[in-house]
Amino acid sequence: MGAAALPSEAQSVIKDIRHADVVVGIPSYNNARTIGHVVRAAHAGLAKYFPQFTSVIINSDGGSKDGTREVVLSARMEDINLLLLNTPLPLVHRLSVPYHGIPGKGSAFRLIFAVAEELGAKACAVVDSDLRSITPEWFDLLIRPVLHAGCDFVAPYYHRHKYDGTITNSIVYPMTRALYGLRVRQPIGGDFGVSNRLVSRYLKRGDWETDVARYGVDIWMTTIAIAEGFRVCQSFLGAKLHDAKDPSADLSAMLTQVIGSVFVLMQEFESVWRQRTGSEDCDVFGFRFDVGLDPIDVNVERMITAFCRGCSELGEVWGLALQRETMKVVRRLAEQCGCVSKFCLEDELWARILYEFSAAYKRRLFDKDTLLRSLTPLYLGRVASFVNQTRDMVSSEVEKKIEESCLTFEHMKPYLLALWDSKTREVPIEPPPSQPAPAEVGMGRQEG
Amino acid sequence: MIEAMRTILQRAVEQLSHQLITYLPSLVAALVVLGCAFLIAFFARWVLTRIFKGRAFDRFLSESGVGNLIDRSGRLRATRLVAGTAYWVILLVGSLTAISAFDTVLSARIIEGAISLAPKLVVAGLILLGGAWLAQFLGRSTLVWAVNDGIPSPRRICAAVRLVVMFVAVVVAADQLDFAENVFLAAFVILVGGAVLAASLAVGLGGRDAMSRFFLQRWGEPEQSTLEKTERSLWNHL
Repeated sequence: MGAAALPSEAQSVIKDIRHADVVVGIPSYNNARTIGHVVRAAHAGLAKYFPQFTSVIINSDGGSKDGTREVVLSARMEDINLLLLNTPLPLVHRLSVPYHGIPGKGSAFRLIFAVAEELGAKACAVVDSDLRSITPEWFDLLIRPVLHAGCDFVAPYYHRHKYDGTITNSIVYPMTRALYGLRVRQPIGGDFGVSNRLVSRYLKRGDWETDVARYGVDIWMTTIAIAEGFRVCQSFLGAKLHDAKDPSADLSAMLTQVIGSVFVLMQEFESVWRQRTGSEDCDVFGFRFDVGLDPIDVNVERMITAFCRGCSELGEVWGLALQRETMKVVRRLAEQCGCVSKFCLEDELWARILYEFSAAYKRRLFDKDTLLRSLTPLYLGRVASFVNQTRDMVSSEVEKKIEESCLTFEHMKPYLLALWDSKTREVPIEPPPSQPAPAEVGMGRQEG
Repeated sequence: MIEAMRTILQRAVEQLSHQLITYLPSLVAALVVLGCAFLIAFFARWVLTRIFKGRAFDRFLSESGVGNLIDRSGRLRATRLVAGTAYWVILLVGSLTAISAFDTVLSARIIEGAISLAPKLVVAGLILLGGAWLAQFLGRSTLVWAVNDGIPSPRRICAAVRLVVMFVAVVVAADQLDFAENVFLAAFVILVGGAVLAASLAVGLGGRDAMSRFFLQRWGEPEQSTLEKTERSLWNHL
């Protein structure tokens, strides 16, 4: 999206502002209730930590009807004296622009990046508009590593409830780590900082009109940053608490968009991930502290019912994607459905399922959307199993459990390679080599 | 008596020798043509298997799902398909040429029929193949959607979708071949009419609940929070 493709509203504001050092982007859709708090936090963060820079806060809106844009433009900082002591409040430009194209998070990001590039910003940070736990410090943590530590992509690192971020914990984190060899704990966090170099790279790509325009954008950005050799780090932001309002998509669509992006990028960066074995820590900025988290209720029985329903009804579809041996194990597992508390979908089986689905996606055995959507019951089964296994665990024990799962993915990578190279549909399954004990996990190397 | 038998046998031998003299050269010629056609077909298949790569066609077969439809292992390649098609087309042309060697009214009718029917058969075959592909695609999509949305009897819905799509394809193919047009058309109209009636009833009955929910939400009891309704926000998955 060049300057010409920017909405006229944005173009005229850019003409007035001419240049900015830092851009903060806030994508939104009907977030009037929470976006004021996010804008105030951004304003305070920029004023407190980057007073020497020209800054712009841009709200990229998806056509809200609840006055979101008005809230953005009217939000005021109420406690500047407390916050800034005697520092004069610098001017922070603020604009709210509706984005065009496919409705979704990715399209909103695209507009933010285009504005950042037009303004020649050195760093750009993007945060969700429904965050309740955001503070001004988040902007320092997302922007400073870009401006002062030479990082190109700053991924968030949060404390989350053990049942929060289940797509991250069960699919995206283990897959990204096993494939690309870097332990970015929240690859689809939604809040991040990027350098101008990486912004230009994102804008140059031609796949914005795919799942990237929707929920696939987060893993797309993280993967490109890692696979193309940009410097990636993480910043500890504390807790991530969202507004209770649900995003508009259903779970199946969300899962399809995220995993679809993972699988598409696997094909693009095959030469990169083929070479990598194991994984290494990713630098973490920020001071770590414990926080209270909102409890999350889960209905394990309902998830297991969905899994069993998938087993009894989707054999025809799964049979095309999964290997015969894997299918047998999944069917055997369905026999455990009556015993909710003992239901367990092991790490190894889960890794096999995901790897086999990725190979089926590559071979285009049938419609890709149907293939990805059919993964939903298996995912729910995995989440139910995870809940059963971690019911009585504290946060650190849960992290250890996730680490074990990631190591299984890493050790089974030869199986993925065999699947991708295979000329026949059936690939012999060899047991993964014995794993080393999971390392103390969580923070990687501490910096800053 | 003996004389009569001798006359009959003589006539039979004469007839046989006449028929042999009339048809044997044609039969030999037909067999030679058939043999040559087989050899040419075999050679064409051998050559095509070695020189034809057809990567773009492979991509089409793979991306459209047609390849998987024909060969469920998903390993069908354009080379195999093109070589096989060439083999059978040459054999068919050879067979027709062999039949034409007899130079009779019947053989002329067979050849004329085959030539006039061939394009229609090809089109009808393509329609059926397209129908089968669409039936499979829509059937699977419906199945997955129904399972994920907790709709009862997903496999029956999937089978119904497949049946309807295949039925439409068969109607169109039959129309193309001018085969029992009225029967198929009448069946098609009855089926579509029935489906529309069923859908209208379903929308009417289902709509009643939807409308009452809408009015309740708008003017009735306060709405439950999203978290209460779904027990777990979708954000918690990401």
